[in-house]
Amino acid sequence: MSSLNTVVVISRDMVLTSIMDRILKDSYRVVDFSNMQSSLDYIYNSIPDMLIIDIGTDTDDFTVNIVNELKGDPIFGQLPVLAIFDDRFVIQDWDSLLVDDYLRKSCLEMELLTKVGLCMHRAERTIEVNPLTRLPGNIAIIKQIQKRLDAGDIFALAYADLDYFKPYNDRYGFSRGDEVLKMLGRLILNIVKGKQPHGSFVGHIGGDDFVFIMDSGYIEDASREILDNFNKIIPTFYDAEDRVRGFIESVDREGNKRTFPLIGISIGAVHNKIRKFSHYGEIAEVASEMKKYAKCTGGGCFRVDKRQHEFAH
Amino acid sequence: MDIQALRSQIEKIDTLPTIPSVLRKLLVVIENPGISLNEVGSFISNDPVLTSRVLKVVNSPVYGFPGRISSVSQALILLGLNVVKGMLLGVSVFEAMQKTMVGLWEHSLGCAITARIIAKKKDLKEPEEVSVAALLHDIGKVVLGLKFPDEYKKIMAEAETKDIFIFDAEKNYFGINHADAGAWIAQKWNFPYRLVEVIEYHHKPHLSKNVTMQTAIVHLSDILVRIKGFGFAGDNFVPAINNAAWQMLDLSEADLKDIIKEMEDSLSQAEDFLLSDE
Repeated sequence: MSSLNTVVVISRDMVLTSIMDRILKDSYRVVDFSNMQSSLDYIYNSIPDMLIIDIGTDTDDFTVNIVNELKGDPIFGQLPVLAIFDDRFVIQDWDSLLVDDYLRKSCLEMELLTKVGLCMHRAERTIEVNPLTRLPGNIAIIKQIQKRLDAGDIFALAYADLDYFKPYNDRYGFSRGDEVLKMLGRLILNIVKGKQPHGSFVGHIGGDDFVFIMDSGYIEDASREILDNFNKIIPTFYDAEDRVRGFIESVDREGNKRTFPLIGISIGAVHNKIRKFSHYGEIAEVASEMKKYAKCTGGGCFRVDKRQHEFAH
Repeated sequence: MDIQALRSQIEKIDTLPTIPSVLRKLLVVIENPGISLNEVGSFISNDPVLTSRVLKVVNSPVYGFPGRISSVSQALILLGLNVVKGMLLGVSVFEAMQKTMVGLWEHSLGCAITARIIAKKKDLKEPEEVSVAALLHDIGKVVLGLKFPDEYKKIMAEAETKDIFIFDAEKNYFGINHADAGAWIAQKWNFPYRLVEVIEYHHKPHLSKNVTMQTAIVHLSDILVRIKGFGFAGDNFVPAINNAAWQMLDLSEADLKDIIKEMEDSLSQAEDFLLSDE
């Protein structure tokens, strides 16, 4: 039964607790605590999927403070919290109670199960995003990969990053660099979703590092299409004279003046059809290894983990 | 009217209507669930208003790279099929001046086709960009005709009775011509300067600074399409070829013959697209 999501219920009211237990017990693993203090050790150690707190009528300062601190912590901020209010309770200021939703006691029977389901679903949907591209960020990417590994899914994972991006930033400044990243995010998203509308995933790790996940049959085509289109579009992000010349002058890491080609993409891909991975770190490592092999002199490159292909034949 | 007031009125325009035959075909395109991005792209590339709509969205600050994209196919890949389809759902048609506009659509598409032919002849890196610029070069006429339909009818009548060019008649009435109006809206919609400049200087190609060759190509296309009698650009004259542009293009008589020959086939296809209903 470990696959059931865990709901922590905090209430001093034993009757209320037993009603909630009865409603939720078939769908969730319910853990009851009579007050906030006693629940903390459990919450910190096992991070439940949801918290239900009986606020009643008095917003008991101590309980509310702990809830607010919990929601303020980036690790627990995602944890959905549902407040239970007495029927006549009116909240003055939502800033003083950082919860995600509320339910009145008289509605428990009718609404609790549905409300809990929606709260969890919403928490899953509102993932953290990269502010630049609005694509899912690092935590969401790790979660996504691990979820697929845990479920035993067969999939392909690709890492993409840019070559000669630093000299571009040095030459034109960061805001021009951001334009390139936004374009690339859009390009990867549309090509991946266009090839495989369902079950694919695109994330932005940060900087010029992107990730996409597809069924392994699509990854090669999609990668090539990303490369081709990027190479077609990128010249328009250069000033006219640089575009005509086909290179820019900038300073390398040692501080020497030299010329650099236009930005290209390197994509490395891996799949778990033959080789098995159990942890996201392992599969991510192979993908980024492939990406390093893919690094080449301008124009962009794509590389799949060949060792698996050799196994396959 | 004061020119600043005119400009701010034109800049308030958010969307332009298309012609009825395109709208009818458009609905078929949108409702086809199996249609590919390429098919939608080549459809959009036939219509100046649909093209400008797509470029306006992809170059808007929302996507974060304004003023960069001048190609329809690139715009579509960056927007995605769903966004494009949703955007096309809102397209409307001209209520007034339909006949004039159909003629203008033919002229615009004819220029786009011709400009692509010349751009290839001149080995330009981006023939699609020149073709888009040619398709949009008279967008100012669409703008003026939409915003001031009654006035524009008078202007066209004046061009005819006084035997003057439409851009002179426009200038007499508004103090500006369609090239100015087109450049204003293209600038307002964050189109790349390479498009804005061609639109602004297609009648004065010697003034273009950054895209002289592209402007010269569109200038010549405009003239060749008029010579062919394809479509209707607002008046019945063929303006003289600008000398600087002609020098720059450096086309031999044989080149010109090739270009005109290639135009023949392509133009009849264009006519089919705009006038047929399937």
